[in-house]
Amino acid sequence: MSDSMQFYISTLLIYLFIDIMGVLGLNLQFGVAGIINFAYIVFVAVGAYTCAVLSLGPDYAGNFQHYAFGASWPFPLPILAAGVVSGLLSLIVGVISLRRLRSDYQAMVMLVLSLIATLVATNATGLVNGPAGLATVPQPLADVLNLAPLEYQWVYAGWCAFLTAVIFLFVRGITNSPLGRTLRAMRDNDRAASALGKSVTNLRLMIFVVGGVIAGISGAVFVEFIQAWSPGSWLYPETFVFLAAIIVGGAANNWGVMVGTLLVPVGFLEATRFLPQVFYDGFIEAMQWVCVGLLILLFLWFRPQGLFPERPSRFQPRPQAQPAARPPE
Amino acid sequence: MSAEGISFVLEVNDVRRDFGGVKAVDGASFSAQRGKITGLIGPNGAGKSTLMSIIAGAIKPVSGRITFEGRDLTGLPSHRVARAGIIRTFQMSAEFAKLSVIENLLVAPRAQKGESLLGAELGRMYWGRDEQALVDRARDVLDRFAMTAKENELAGNLSGGQKRLLEIMRALMAEPKMLLLDEPFAGVNPSLARQIEQYLLDLRDEGLSMIMVEHELAVVERVCDPVVVMAQGKVISEGSMHDVGAREEVLNAYLVG
Repeated sequence: MSDSMQFYISTLLIYLFIDIMGVLGLNLQFGVAGIINFAYIVFVAVGAYTCAVLSLGPDYAGNFQHYAFGASWPFPLPILAAGVVSGLLSLIVGVISLRRLRSDYQAMVMLVLSLIATLVATNATGLVNGPAGLATVPQPLADVLNLAPLEYQWVYAGWCAFLTAVIFLFVRGITNSPLGRTLRAMRDNDRAASALGKSVTNLRLMIFVVGGVIAGISGAVFVEFIQAWSPGSWLYPETFVFLAAIIVGGAANNWGVMVGTLLVPVGFLEATRFLPQVFYDGFIEAMQWVCVGLLILLFLWFRPQGLFPERPSRFQPRPQAQPAARPPE
Repeated sequence: MSAEGISFVLEVNDVRRDFGGVKAVDGASFSAQRGKITGLIGPNGAGKSTLMSIIAGAIKPVSGRITFEGRDLTGLPSHRVARAGIIRTFQMSAEFAKLSVIENLLVAPRAQKGESLLGAELGRMYWGRDEQALVDRARDVLDRFAMTAKENELAGNLSGGQKRLLEIMRALMAEPKMLLLDEPFAGVNPSLARQIEQYLLDLRDEGLSMIMVEHELAVVERVCDPVVVMAQGKVISEGSMHDVGAREEVLNAYLVG
C-alpha cells in the first residue's frame, strides 16, 4: 500500500474512533436517557480547547496567538483535564437547564447555548484566540517516540482504538446494568419513573455529566491529532451529525450507534468529498448539512428505531419449566 | 393514630390547590384506613385526580397537610413520596414502552445495587445476585397475574387492559405500603376488569391499603369501603357506599354536578 493511501486510511480510522467516542457519549444522553442535547458539540469543543491551551504552554507577549490558562502539562494530563472541565461545564449547564424545564424547552436551551458558545469563542479574542482559533497544538509524545509521520499516524490510531475500547466498556457498564434500565425507563416516562421513587433530576444530571466528560475526552484526542481548533470546527450543525449517526444506527444500542458512526460522519461525509465540484466552490460541503438533515428526517419517518433497534435484556429462564398461564387479552 | 379501633394510615387535612382562578381542590380533608380500599368518587371536575396528584407529590398544594403513618409528606416531590411507601398508578397508561414487561417490573424496586454509577461499573459480579433475586420476584408477580407468557414482550405492544395490569404489577414490585389507583379500570374489557377487581381485593386482604378514583359506581360498591365523595374541590361525604348513596348532598352533587 502506498504511503499516501496509508495516511488516508489511518486518518479515517482515527476520525472513526474519535467520532465513535463522541457518539457513545451523546447516545448515553439522548438514546438512553432521552435528554435532547443540541449543544453536545460545545462539550467536545470545550474539551478540545482545554487540552489545547494546557499543551501549548503559557502565552507570551510576541506569540502569534493569544489564549488564557496556557500551560504545558505532560501527556495525558491535558486529556484528563479536558474531561474534567467538560464535565464541570455539563454540571453547571445541567443544574440550570435540566431541573425544571420540560424536555422540548431543554432542547431549545441547548441549541441557544451552542450558538452563544460559538459567539463567545469568536468574540472573546483573548480566551482562545477568537475566530482564528488555536494552532500548533503539540502532538502527544511526538518528541519522545521520535517516529516517522506515517508511523506516528498508526500509533495514534492504536491509541484512539484503545481509548474507544475503554469508553465502550465504561458505557456498556452503564447500559447493561440496572442503572441503564432505570435511565431508559425515565426516558420512556419520567413521571412514572419518579412515581416509583427514582430521582429523575439526579439521574438526568448524572448522565449529562458522564456524557459531557466523554465529549470532552473525544475533543481532546481530536485536537491533539489535527493540532488546530477554531470556532468553525464546532458549529452547531456538528451535533446533528452525531444525532444522525445515533438515529440511523439505532438509539440506545451501542453497537448500532457505532455502525451509525461508520455510515454517517465517516462514510457518508467522506464519500461526498469525492464528488466532482459543481456550481461553485463549497456547494458540496453546503449540501452535506442538507443531506444530514434529510437523513434524520427519512429515518424518523420510515425507520425511527434505526438500523439496529434497542434490545431489552432477556433473563435466564427459570430452572423448572412452569406451565405458562394464558395472558388476559 | 387510632380512634375507636380504626387505624388511619393517611390523613389529608384541608388541602387546597388552585390553577389560576379555578379552585381545583378547595379545602379537602379525609382519612384512609389501613388495609382498606378507600374509594374517591364524585362528578367530573370534582378535583379527585388533582387530589390524588397532590397526595402523590406530583402537584404541590397551596396549603393543607398530608400525613402518612404519622409522617408529614406535604410538598415532598413525587420520588420522595414513593420512597415513603405510596405508589401511584396513572389515569392514562404509563408503561415504559420500549422496555420489556419484565424490565418494567425490574425498574420498580428501590435502591438496587447496580443502580448507582459506581455500582453499575463494578459489574455483574457486584449486582448480579441482587438482580437475580429481583428477577425471581418479578417472575412470581408475573405468575400471579397470569402474565408470564408476556415476560419479554415490549410493554408498548400490550393491550390497554394488560398495560393496566402491568402498572399494578410494577407498583407491587416497589413494595408499597399504599397504592393510589387513578381509574384502574378505564379502557379495560369487562372480564379483565373483573379479574383486576379480584386481584385488588386479594391485595387488600393481604393488608395493602389503597385509595381508588373510580367513576363506575357499581365497581365502587363492590370494591371500595369506605367511600369519600368529592364535589367542587371539597369532600362532601364519607362513609360506606350504602350510607353515602342515600345522602341528599351526594345525590345533588351527582345530579347538578
